[in-house]
Amino acid sequence: MSIEIKELKYTYSPGSPFAHKALDGINLSIPEGQVTAIIGQTGSGKSTLVQHLNGLLKVQEGSIDIAGYHLEPQMKLKEIKQLRKKVGLVFQFPEYQLFEETIGKDIAFGPINFGDTPEMAMEKAKTILPKVGLDESLIERSPFDLSGGQKRRVAIAGILVQDPEILVLDEPAAGLDPQGAEEMMNLFMSLNKEQGKTIILVSHDMEHVLQYCDNVIVLENGKVKTFCDTKTFFKHPEWMKEIGINPPGIVTLKQKLMENGFVIDPEIFDEEELAVAIESQVKSNG
Amino acid sequence: MGNIALGRYMDLNSVVNKMDPRTKIMVLLIVMIAIFIPAGFWGYIPIAIFILAALKLSKLSIRFALRSMKPMMFMMVFLLVINVLVMKTGTLWFKWGWFSIYSDAVIQTLYIILRLLLMIVMTTILTATTKPLDLTLGLEKLLKPFEAIGLPAHIIAMMISIALRFIPTLIEETQRIMNAQASRGVDLENGTLKEKVMAVLALIVPLFVSAFDRADQLANAMEARGYDPSRPRTRYKMLKMHSADYMALCMALIVLLSDIGLWMAGI
Repeated sequence: MSIEIKELKYTYSPGSPFAHKALDGINLSIPEGQVTAIIGQTGSGKSTLVQHLNGLLKVQEGSIDIAGYHLEPQMKLKEIKQLRKKVGLVFQFPEYQLFEETIGKDIAFGPINFGDTPEMAMEKAKTILPKVGLDESLIERSPFDLSGGQKRRVAIAGILVQDPEILVLDEPAAGLDPQGAEEMMNLFMSLNKEQGKTIILVSHDMEHVLQYCDNVIVLENGKVKTFCDTKTFFKHPEWMKEIGINPPGIVTLKQKLMENGFVIDPEIFDEEELAVAIESQVKSNG
Repeated sequence: MGNIALGRYMDLNSVVNKMDPRTKIMVLLIVMIAIFIPAGFWGYIPIAIFILAALKLSKLSIRFALRSMKPMMFMMVFLLVINVLVMKTGTLWFKWGWFSIYSDAVIQTLYIILRLLLMIVMTTILTATTKPLDLTLGLEKLLKPFEAIGLPAHIIAMMISIALRFIPTLIEETQRIMNAQASRGVDLENGTLKEKVMAVLALIVPLFVSAFDRADQLANAMEARGYDPSRPRTRYKMLKMHSADYMALCMALIVLLSDIGLWMAGI
């Protein structure tokens, strides 16, 4: 079942002089089991939209159908508590949400809140650690003894342990070194490929969007500007220019090549394939 | 958080906005002293006139000033209740079984409420017309003479301005951590006492961790730029008193003197 968002509107501090319209009639149908990127400039409404998906923000106008829940105005928090288990939300710099004495307890915190016994939750914590690339022996250590990258893995494990159907990630790789970022993204992609989890990724990194995502949603001023599959999106560098983001290196390279008389198949987004295309043209022009 | 009137700066571009922060702090002190002089009911007239004039000159509405009283409402009611129950002097106004109200209790409470009201309105004018940083600069300059007896004026001012600077940051941080923990099933509204204690812990611990992190980073950044609290510093912003400042000070002194006069005459 896909995520259906209909005519979603949201205003911060309505009725006051500081009122600010963050979402202005969002209509989306985000497919299940795929990786969808949400991009847009700061203040375009990305965070506001994402916080609606697990009920952190209550729907003011419009409706959302997600993970078997129908969200509409005037809903009580109690009714949607289990929604937060099904939709795992990883915030930017999640390492700042750690607070327990041991890594095991911190990871078990979510499952206990959602109704598991402490023993069951600890068991789950033990099995999740290797999945995020941490050793099981760390379970009794304090999370504050770890390095920044390891802390983030623990924090993400704390969400993954809830076994969410839908995983919403806000800049999960921000501030990590390139290798750490790649490992992190590969972890999420394996969850998508092997367990069929729907992933929604908020990112400013177009390389990641091109490499990992199936669809792209562009938000601008609280409205959906573009919603299409990734390849279509990256065939239009002018769309990226309009919203002020830098296209990935390969897109820029293709553009430069075409300006200089090369004929490049617009379907090529792979470095190897591009190299072959260039080689063949250089050879044939002798 | 959006409707707290107490302590919020309003950029209204009035005469009072442009006044030297030192003047405003001194005027506040003088008027505070005047408020505490027991000159009877008439003693509050000059103070009230002064404060109303200050409100008018600072372009603040009376409604805005009264709104800053809201947090004090509970305390005032509480005072009234305690006074009525405890004070049994003056003339008897009302009696019903064991419950009785004497005139002194009500009059005393009204005095206290009046004093509180005047002080809060006065303080609101100060914070509404002075940017927090100007306020600390004024405070630093006023405390300067006390450095001779070992009061670290500059360090105190620096601490206050850092604290003020980080209030919005911490509010934002709190919101973020609350959202993150809510996503892990924390429910601050419902739940047993134990769950609520856990919920508060899950908020406080990360908040402290990040606050200490920030403090560490700020200290490093300051040291990297050669900050040394014991060295004399120059200022981009120089404070200068104008005629309006002297006039305000004179007026405040007149209010104070007339209250002292009324007090003396009363005795």
